[in-house]
Amino acid sequence: MNYAQHEHHDFLGASNQALADPPLQAALTRLTDTLMAGNRKGYAALADSSALRDHAKRIKEHTLAHLDRYLEQLEASVQKLGGRVHWAATADDARRIIVTIAQQAGCQNAVKSKSMTSEEIHLNGALEKAGVRVTETDFGEFIIQLAGERPSHLVAPAVHHTRESVARVLSQHLGQPLPDDPKSLALAGRRVLREEFRRADLGISGVNFAVAETGSIVLITNEGNGRLTTTCPRVHVALMGIEKVIPRMRDLPVFLKLLARGATGQTLSVYTTMITGPKRPGEQDGPDEFHLVILDNGRSRVLATPFRESLQCIRCGACLNACPVYRRIGGHAYGGVYSGPIGSILTPLYDSVTLNPHLPHASSLCGACQAACPVKINIPHMLIGLRALQHQHGQGGHGGRHRGRWESWAYRLWSVVLRRPWLYRLALRGARLALRRWDQDGWLTRLPGPGASWTALRDFPAPAALSFRQRWKKDLE
Amino acid sequence: MQTRDTILHQVRLAVTEGNRLQPAPPLPERGRIGYQGAADAVERFCSELTAAGGHPFVTPDRDAAVQRIRDIMQRHQARKIALGCGGVIEDLDVANRLRGDGVDMTPMDALAAPRFREAMFAADIGISNVAYLIAETGSVVMATAPNEPRSLSLLPPVHIALAHVEQILPDLFDLFDLYSPVADLAKPAAPPPSCLTLITGPSKTGDIELKLVTGVHGPGELHVILIGSQ
Repeated sequence: MNYAQHEHHDFLGASNQALADPPLQAALTRLTDTLMAGNRKGYAALADSSALRDHAKRIKEHTLAHLDRYLEQLEASVQKLGGRVHWAATADDARRIIVTIAQQAGCQNAVKSKSMTSEEIHLNGALEKAGVRVTETDFGEFIIQLAGERPSHLVAPAVHHTRESVARVLSQHLGQPLPDDPKSLALAGRRVLREEFRRADLGISGVNFAVAETGSIVLITNEGNGRLTTTCPRVHVALMGIEKVIPRMRDLPVFLKLLARGATGQTLSVYTTMITGPKRPGEQDGPDEFHLVILDNGRSRVLATPFRESLQCIRCGACLNACPVYRRIGGHAYGGVYSGPIGSILTPLYDSVTLNPHLPHASSLCGACQAACPVKINIPHMLIGLRALQHQHGQGGHGGRHRGRWESWAYRLWSVVLRRPWLYRLALRGARLALRRWDQDGWLTRLPGPGASWTALRDFPAPAALSFRQRWKKDLE
Repeated sequence: MQTRDTILHQVRLAVTEGNRLQPAPPLPERGRIGYQGAADAVERFCSELTAAGGHPFVTPDRDAAVQRIRDIMQRHQARKIALGCGGVIEDLDVANRLRGDGVDMTPMDALAAPRFREAMFAADIGISNVAYLIAETGSVVMATAPNEPRSLSLLPPVHIALAHVEQILPDLFDLFDLYSPVADLAKPAAPPPSCLTLITGPSKTGDIELKLVTGVHGPGELHVILIGSQ
């Protein structure tokens, strides 16, 4: 089982399907417009936001450069509190470890708060196979679990659903028809999930941040399911990638100030919960056992490459909302667990550069992702780096399908023409004449021959009637 | 143990690899960057909490504070109240002053484990103290301890938090400095509690068509009653 890819699917086909789906288009526009407005407003309202984002980035850089030291410190801090630390090199290790914890503690009903890392290791199937019932408790995750789907956005996993489809899914689960207004549906969800919390004996969560010096893990939710997951069951398992550690308690608020603002524009998400070890003597609630599973699953390999900056990601989803490609095709088209610009980096890196040929090209390199990122990850730079890697593997643009004799000849011809102004002028005039018959209001939407593969995916601007030099000359006269 | 050492070994190799390209930056100091504390802490707290969908109420008068609790109870026709102990709750003598109101009042210190859990799941309103409040974000900070359970501010559909205005901290940085082991050598920091939760407004979800619904898991209403003056 691999890191990030469910199936090596047809990216172009899935994108076209998404573009032809009006309800999805409406939902994506609504979501990304709202969240991006929040992102901009959030940063604008925060004192020194740009400098604070630089500071957050430096903390991540420092931590990654000393990652071995901080992981050892985190382990020691958790153990000192009576927590248990487990190390998982692969997704397979992590699944086995968590199943074993459940079996040894005799757990039968697990509740989960939203965790992308658990999606990455395909945990639910492994637990179900071992006879442990698993219920996703984030409301959006619960809907897609019932629908048998996977998340299509980092923080809004069910964005591709409408109120009607949610009502259908929930009504079927409850065996009674529900009205399709969001309030009744959410409160029906609350009733069902409250019973799951009451009976659960195992709580599984992700980790937003882990503080090395105190052994604390931090969970952030808006619904409160993260708190319930770590309050009601007697066993708590937290799963984290090795990159989630931060050095000190005082570094935490730097990220807290940025995460929610970047994700939704909130000053802080509704619930920020910091767990430090299991329940202590005399306390009335909380888990008796606390387990921290630290997962590598390819991260240390990426740490050794120039792509290590991708390990700074705090999974806020801002780059998805900002991306003109994600905004049109949505999360499922990317095919991996992680979607959007950051997914276009993570999926090729952790799964396969060559088997995911389209992802590094699913970007216009406009830089909106980097501008929205709370830690200013240079996503465009890494996408170009991945394209270069593909080239080294003998793949050209767009999956290596069109690169070959045509494309190399075209580039060779291009360079010959560009070096000779008279030839360039002539070529331009020739192109204008030749392309006139396909010109539709200044755009070429359908070209024959090798040009067809370009216009299959995007329009090409038709050559202007007058070149820039011609207009310049004319206006001077 | 073997997996642990393999992972750490690989990380060590990777870090060396990374450091060869550029020296590892030292852990930076923040200085004053991003600090948002200001003098008008009470006002800021109230406006931020309101923006997050919570209900602040500031009064210097203890009777007015108790009356406010009574009003909320009556509006919800609450029958079962889960009540914290100590702190402001004890100062206001909430247990005795509301006893005559025909409600089932369950103080935390009177309950053994199985009954505690059932009382929590059944309660209509949870009344708690808080450890701190954050003006910058309008948050209340709950620190778990014996008789300060996690459930009290989580399971009942309505949460009433009681505090003194003196408990307000200006900025998030001020809160986490308190739990930093090296915050102040003369005044050693408290170890963090088993669970520290910052609550900023009522429980929210936007998972259906981005329509905001409150109370999906945690309390759908959050009231903060502050004793003191504006």
